Amino acid sequence: MGDTLSYFLMAWSDPWLLGLVATGTFAGIYIGAIPGLSVTMAVSILISFTFAWDINNALALMVGVFCGGVYGGSRTAILLNIPGAPSAVATAFDGYPLAQRGEAGQAIGLSTVMSVIGGMIGIAILAASAPVLSDMALQFAPRDYFLIAALGLLLVGSLAAESLARGIFAAALGGIIGMIGMDPVTAQGRFTFGSVDLLGGVHYVIVMIGLFGVAEALFQLHQLDTTPVRQKVDKIIPSLHLVLRFLPLSLRTSIIGVIIGALPGTGGDIAALFAYDHAKRTTKTPKVPFGEGAYEGLVAPESANNAAVGGAFVPMLTLGMPGDAVTAVIIGAMVVHGLNPGPMLMIETPHIFWFIVGALVLANICLLVFGLMGIKLFARVVELPRAILIPLILVLCVVGSYSINGSMTEVFWMLGFGLLGYFMKIFGFQMGPVILGVILGPLMDKTYRQAMASVGDSSSAFLMDLVTHPLSLILTAVVVLLLLSHTPVKRLWTRR
Amino acid sequence: MLKALLATLTLSAGATLLAGPIQAADYPQRNIEGIIQWGAGGATDNVARSLTPHVEEALNGKIILNNRPGGTGVIGMNTVMHKPANGYTVLYGAENPQLYPVMGLADFDYSDMTPINVIGQGMVVIAVPADSPYNTMDDLLKAAHDKPGELRMGGTGAGGLPSTVLAMINSVDTLDVRNVTFGGDGPGITAMLGDHIDFMPLSLAAAQEQIKAGRLKGLAVLSKERLDVLPEVPTITESLPDIGSYLPWGPFWAVAVRKDTPDDIKATLSKAYQTGVANKDFQSFIKRNGAETLNLTGQEAVDFLNHWQSVTAWAMQSAGTARVSPEKLSIPKP
Repeated sequence: MGDTLSYFLMAWSDPWLLGLVATGTFAGIYIGAIPGLSVTMAVSILISFTFAWDINNALALMVGVFCGGVYGGSRTAILLNIPGAPSAVATAFDGYPLAQRGEAGQAIGLSTVMSVIGGMIGIAILAASAPVLSDMALQFAPRDYFLIAALGLLLVGSLAAESLARGIFAAALGGIIGMIGMDPVTAQGRFTFGSVDLLGGVHYVIVMIGLFGVAEALFQLHQLDTTPVRQKVDKIIPSLHLVLRFLPLSLRTSIIGVIIGALPGTGGDIAALFAYDHAKRTTKTPKVPFGEGAYEGLVAPESANNAAVGGAFVPMLTLGMPGDAVTAVIIGAMVVHGLNPGPMLMIETPHIFWFIVGALVLANICLLVFGLMGIKLFARVVELPRAILIPLILVLCVVGSYSINGSMTEVFWMLGFGLLGYFMKIFGFQMGPVILGVILGPLMDKTYRQAMASVGDSSSAFLMDLVTHPLSLILTAVVVLLLLSHTPVKRLWTRR
Repeated sequence: MLKALLATLTLSAGATLLAGPIQAADYPQRNIEGIIQWGAGGATDNVARSLTPHVEEALNGKIILNNRPGGTGVIGMNTVMHKPANGYTVLYGAENPQLYPVMGLADFDYSDMTPINVIGQGMVVIAVPADSPYNTMDDLLKAAHDKPGELRMGGTGAGGLPSTVLAMINSVDTLDVRNVTFGGDGPGITAMLGDHIDFMPLSLAAAQEQIKAGRLKGLAVLSKERLDVLPEVPTITESLPDIGSYLPWGPFWAVAVRKDTPDDIKATLSKAYQTGVANKDFQSFIKRNGAETLNLTGQEAVDFLNHWQSVTAWAMQSAGTARVSPEKLSIPKP
């Protein structure tokens, strides 16, 4: 126990490690805020950078960048309607309308506090029950991931504001965009028209930057003469009353975040979308409708995506298997540094586990400090004249999409999606469902084919599996009930 | 630090003054870009990032590493082939390019570039979950013979390592299985830990920690002799002696540049990479990861690549999984 505590506090008591976690968190916030600069990218650059360092120093920096980056994505989502990372897509739904109402400062303040609460819950669950949670995550068969993806696609109902038909169209479009590239099973090109550049598919961050960033910039050209909203920057740190009011929601969505984060096939982006949907379903009477600046719509995804960080470390630290793309790179870093990430990691090197847990807690405290700093300045971004703001957004979009692969192909794609998004906006289509399709389409494709291959491509065996395995049965029941709740069947039932 | 900075400044100033044709004497004048054809955190990425600092030291220059994953590595390789042939872009590749033509993925392979170094070769182990009823390779083969098309094998897609190993086994025996495709070794192992698949041929680097911890059982290593790291796991030739003609076989890592790169630059790079691979720290890194260093350059590297391609392509042909016949591509029989 004493050992555990000393490992846990290692990053706290050593000023050098403390500094590294703080630096990492600070840098992470800004890396995360710029769309296209991803945490995965930053951490993989850090591997080369920290090659000759001690492993603890390298991990301290990486943990900081990870926590900061996941949080940072919400900054640009709230201020500019450009999610800095896919896990902040859901944050933009209500965060941006809040900024447009002059409450950018309050929105960032609330999202910071809720991120930290979510992050802490994630870490607490990681520390308390990592082995149990990872055993549970292993129970998820391909068919269960398929059901989760199906459940995710049903979120269209939540994301498509007024027109469900438009929402379904947008999600289907996203699904098709997600299919571009090499077929994962047969290695055949799909929708590539013979272009080698398309074999790797279209990176979903490109779609996101185009649809949100460029489309928003183009759309704002319509309102060149309107004066931007004055931002209220007095009460930035949310009152205790406000935090307590949203605490139950934050707790629930944090648990969603940890579980989805701990599943090796899903991460913070899907967790945040599920959390948003959960908030929308459980909040019967929001003060402001969802999509127009409801606090609940901000609290839920922000708690969930930061809680997913703790979740992502669960399979990594217990099994040596990555919980998401970032932990995959951190595993790589550990290998390069001479550690053996695997099931024995927690037994042979318990100090690594507790050191990471300690560094995560520290990073979340840094997040609270850095996140609440300089908000007034950031809120003013929304007040910038459009003539400055629009070019700024466009530059950010180009830089972000170029830096994904260091090639112009991505920039052209991003501009194309920007144009598409602009016209979709004009005709009343929502962007959220497209991203949903891009993220979930390939997951559904992959897992459906895995599930079918496992049962020898027999449809009847596949359907039997859905109802004979307890976990699958629960998920199937949820999917079916959710579908029925949107059909006349429910109305008939309730009328009776 | 200041000294290095001054040296760089003087060097670049000198270079601008001379401004003559590219020569090895003043190579590298600027940062070299290393393009890794697989994603961050994978085996190729780990090898590249562990090796490069040692090469930088030998080269007295800086190599910036970028991942360009996608399309089984086609995209990364294609990128390098479209950059200027001046030695400022190098490819960090795996074994996949040698199968592009047979799989019909691309019409190029390593023979369209110049290999600078074949860094090393990984080992392959066929693994099953810890609680699997199969304890030996013979058990597994017998189960597959008794119930053809019912065992679930974890795969990584057409042209991936499991499908190649399956092809080799099928060219000497019959192993009729359901091929369940995962995104890589990691997701496959995760599925196996949860008993969602019955077995999977894996790179030793990815599987050894799980085997040592008793989470997976190793049935056979794809080698003629037992391995030092897993001495209790039998060799595959103990069950299937005929497969010996394909061995030694395994995934490998190589560094290559465009063919038209000036010879003196190729020579400089070869020397630097040879020194880098020979570095003690890197050697022990590779060993720890269940692989062996090869450190082949020049004709030796070319011979290795040709041999690997011919063995693999013809194994796939005789198992019926090659899309384009190796004969048509004039790949000689092994």
